Amino acid sequence: MAQAQVPGQQLSSKDLGLFRQVVRHFESKQYKKGLKTAEQVLKKNPNHADTQAMKALIMHSQGHTQEAFDLAKIALKNNMKSHVCWHVYGLLWRGEKNFEEAIKAYKFALRLEPDSQPIQRDLAHLQIQMRDYEGYVESRRNMLQQKPGFRQNWTALAIAHHLSGNYEDAENVLTTYEDTLKSKMSRTDIEHWEAVLYKNYIIAESGQVEKALEHLEAVGKKSPDVLGVMEMRADYLLRLDKKEDAEAAYSALLDRNPENSAYFDGYIKAKGLQEADPLEAKKAYDEIAAKYPRSDLPRRRPLDFLSGDAFREAADAYLQRMLRKGVPSTFANIKQLYGDASKRKTVQELVEGYEAGEVSSPAGMSDPTEKEQENFKWSVPYFLAQHYNFAASRDLSKALTYTDKCLSIDPKSVDFHAVQGRTFKYLGQISKAAETMQKAQDLDLKDRAINTKCAKYLLRDNQNEAAVEMAGKFTQNKTSGGPLADLLDMQCVWYLTEDGQAYLRQRKLGLALKRFYQILNIFEVWQDDQFDFHNFSLRKGMIRAYIDMLRWEDHLRDHPFFSRMAISVVKAYLLLADNPDLAHGPILNGVNGSAANGKMSEAERKKALKKAKREQEKLEKAEAEKKALAKASKPVPKADAEDVKKEDTDPLGKTLVETKTPLEDAMKFLSPLLESCPNLLDAQKAGFEVYLQRKKYLLAVKCLLAIKSISPSDPDLHVYSYQLRRAVELKQDSVDDKVIDMVKDLGKDVLHSGTPAKDLNERFQQTSLHHTQAYLKVKDMLDESSRKENEKALVDSISKYPESTLPDLIAGLELLQQWGTSEDIIESYKAEARKTFSEADVFQSTKTD
Amino acid sequence: MRSSKMVDIVPVSSYPSHISLLPSVQQCNLTNLPENYFLKYYLYHALTWPQLSFVAVVRSAKPTAYPKVVGYVLAKMEEDPTDGVQHGHITSLSVMRTHRRLGIAEKLMRNSQRAMAEVFNADYVSLHVRVSNAAALHLYRDTLGFAVEKTESKYYADGEDAFAMKMDLKNMQIKDIPDSDEKDEGDAVGSAGKKEETPTNGEKMVKVRVGKQRGVADLVERNEGTGASY
Repeated sequence: MAQAQVPGQQLSSKDLGLFRQVVRHFESKQYKKGLKTAEQVLKKNPNHADTQAMKALIMHSQGHTQEAFDLAKIALKNNMKSHVCWHVYGLLWRGEKNFEEAIKAYKFALRLEPDSQPIQRDLAHLQIQMRDYEGYVESRRNMLQQKPGFRQNWTALAIAHHLSGNYEDAENVLTTYEDTLKSKMSRTDIEHWEAVLYKNYIIAESGQVEKALEHLEAVGKKSPDVLGVMEMRADYLLRLDKKEDAEAAYSALLDRNPENSAYFDGYIKAKGLQEADPLEAKKAYDEIAAKYPRSDLPRRRPLDFLSGDAFREAADAYLQRMLRKGVPSTFANIKQLYGDASKRKTVQELVEGYEAGEVSSPAGMSDPTEKEQENFKWSVPYFLAQHYNFAASRDLSKALTYTDKCLSIDPKSVDFHAVQGRTFKYLGQISKAAETMQKAQDLDLKDRAINTKCAKYLLRDNQNEAAVEMAGKFTQNKTSGGPLADLLDMQCVWYLTEDGQAYLRQRKLGLALKRFYQILNIFEVWQDDQFDFHNFSLRKGMIRAYIDMLRWEDHLRDHPFFSRMAISVVKAYLLLADNPDLAHGPILNGVNGSAANGKMSEAERKKALKKAKREQEKLEKAEAEKKALAKASKPVPKADAEDVKKEDTDPLGKTLVETKTPLEDAMKFLSPLLESCPNLLDAQKAGFEVYLQRKKYLLAVKCLLAIKSISPSDPDLHVYSYQLRRAVELKQDSVDDKVIDMVKDLGKDVLHSGTPAKDLNERFQQTSLHHTQAYLKVKDMLDESSRKENEKALVDSISKYPESTLPDLIAGLELLQQWGTSEDIIESYKAEARKTFSEADVFQSTKTD
Repeated sequence: MRSSKMVDIVPVSSYPSHISLLPSVQQCNLTNLPENYFLKYYLYHALTWPQLSFVAVVRSAKPTAYPKVVGYVLAKMEEDPTDGVQHGHITSLSVMRTHRRLGIAEKLMRNSQRAMAEVFNADYVSLHVRVSNAAALHLYRDTLGFAVEKTESKYYADGEDAFAMKMDLKNMQIKDIPDSDEKDEGDAVGSAGKKEETPTNGEKMVKVRVGKQRGVADLVERNEGTGASY
């Protein structure tokens, strides 16, 4: 030990033996024994820093974070020159996910003990985790110098060079190692062949496709990753425009898997058919289809690019083939064509024709067998029910008619009930939709897919408790937390999102925030998951997959699972900022069970608040009882058990919702959202609303410009522009004049400061209900005394746009509620809305008389 | 018109990679099956046997958007085969209800099986299926050619029995390809060389259970190395 000369740091050989035992106990997670042994050493050597550090490390593993840090600092004070103390200090920080501090501590440790492999390795892993490529290159170079005999160390240095963008060095490192190999490598040496393909991957990525191809031709034959080699080779050939070889290569890939459209794309491109006559391309597909009679893709694919009569003919053949077979997923496989109105119409005509009996066998197809005719009887109306449910071809009364027909053929079909449930949902009959899904679920208790659908519909109907009970039929239910704890444990993001959104609709913001934070945490776990692979993948040798994983982790949060949650959480915080009373539970205006932000008298407000608080207390009590019960029924956990689960001290999200800084808290979600999904309209809208409230006008104008470029005629853009313009023109507060000028300059194309706001609003083109709502919102902000007029205009607007969607109509209702409109007018709005959505839950009268 | 809009079957380890689909694969599993796993367990498969798992997707019209996952097969090699024979194992397979009867499950299975034999030289593939799951049983036995090896009592958490099934893959294995440009066509000796001394750097490998799993004891070795070697 290098630090032997520091007083109080020398151990007798017996104590040194004990110290080593402490380390071993820690490694085998025998924390109790470890602590006991450490105490033994410290009794005789009370200031022995390394032992104190090890003790701190054990305490940290047992969850005593604060005590661990305190002790680790004492240890450092006792011996600043101990690499053990610094290493432990780094490990503690790493445990707290403070990677910067951890790296600093590791570096200190390494300075004191430059040859320590464990410290070097821990540092390296953190560097790659933090994407400190330069640091990683240095660490890996050291590690290679220490142990050049191991291939892993060579590969790792190549990875470091590759990731830092240094292709040449990466390739050279791999080649240098390859050159040391004396014997030929067997096909079963996975590590070797993977390293060879990794080198090829680097060469191609550096842009030297020709060289990559040459290399692949030389080494690829023996690689066990047959498909990988074929894919790379085909890609290179096509990029190099070696058409004939590329065609053969893609043809070989199609032979393996005729269901991969990337292979088709390559094949068609290699054949030079991309820009050619679609009928020629169709021929190519037909040839492939003939070769693979069970393959779907070559039959379905031409429907994408054919048009007119050729489309009708091909669609007829495809639809009849599928519907005769009775494939229930035919519609799911067709609906993507509906972006093209003429194709939508053709499909509708064809299938309506089948329904009417106008059907003749397409060329090359024999007449239907008896079984096929039987299938046709239900598969055709089932297709049509889904067709008329679908947004682009929606006709919900027709959908119901076809569903009835299906159900009369088979009243016990899960799918038929499910499609009916969906129609009710689109009609706004959320409760009935949930009931229908429950019927479907009852018909097949062993299928989790329908159970999932059912739980989702219950959540859409704000029935959180019924939903968790439903979902609980398929969870393990072995922990005390019930099904929800299982769903959380298994990272069931869809459920947590829907549960949180249901709470958000009910203005139970504590629980809503709780769920959204749980998802945020799942994303953190997913990010941390990569940590163990820095070492694992080097051992397993699957380097390309590892690199792909790192790159995916870098954009983990551009996934819709993240944006959906983040947009909802921002909405929750905006509500909370607007009405802090919501921290005490939902403040409902009692009109229709939906929440009101509108004006309430002070007496009403107090009454509502009191009621909310009472509800909240009831919830807390129930939660406490549940916990006590769980505790009583559970055996006492072993003190030495490894991952002792930390108890959730705030299951209702109370501390989250009681924040004094909702808009600042929202930034935890908004920042990654805007960074990961800059092209997502709703993300930019969320950003604008938060920045406007926070008086960050420069950031607000940036969002506004983004909204404009994503959706130039978005009605909200009109409202937002006015809001920002008013904010900068009023020039209240402490906002710097320079900032105001910059905002005006940057936003000149959206703010139109030269024109009076009133004129702008009057000139605003009202082309939909949503647009009219925007116009009225601005009008109301310009002149609050126009409120009564605006309310009336909003009610009248409904009849002007008979094609309005349910969400747009609901948005109008919410606007009225925000304005604190009288019950009479709200009732007349609902009555108007019922003319389109007669049975929708939200538009039913709630008049008490 | 370069983005396809029907069901595609793609390898997770494709070139370029489809590893970003794993969160959606996990949710597909949670939607359809009671046996669920942490994302890390999917990563563990994708980073240990990247060639064996396949996903069925419906690509989005926007090339940048995430495609919708409508089915997957998650597969592995048995790490310590009790019979000492290299073989693959199907960890999980499912197809969304909306996309059943398109033959997706069968195609996923065939792709995975071929890769097991080609890449990892698997002699056979094994799997478990609920005795009550007639549709799956039909697929494995009648369509693909699996045979029931035995019944495992109370294999599933809810007490249901499982059929343990097997299928031979030897006919898809690739025998060692001789180098055409060299005379020496004998068996490769490379693996006898440096490979066995796989370094551990003095690290301790601790076996850690990953994912909630019953039956198959799938373990991940995880590097727990810390303050070792003082």
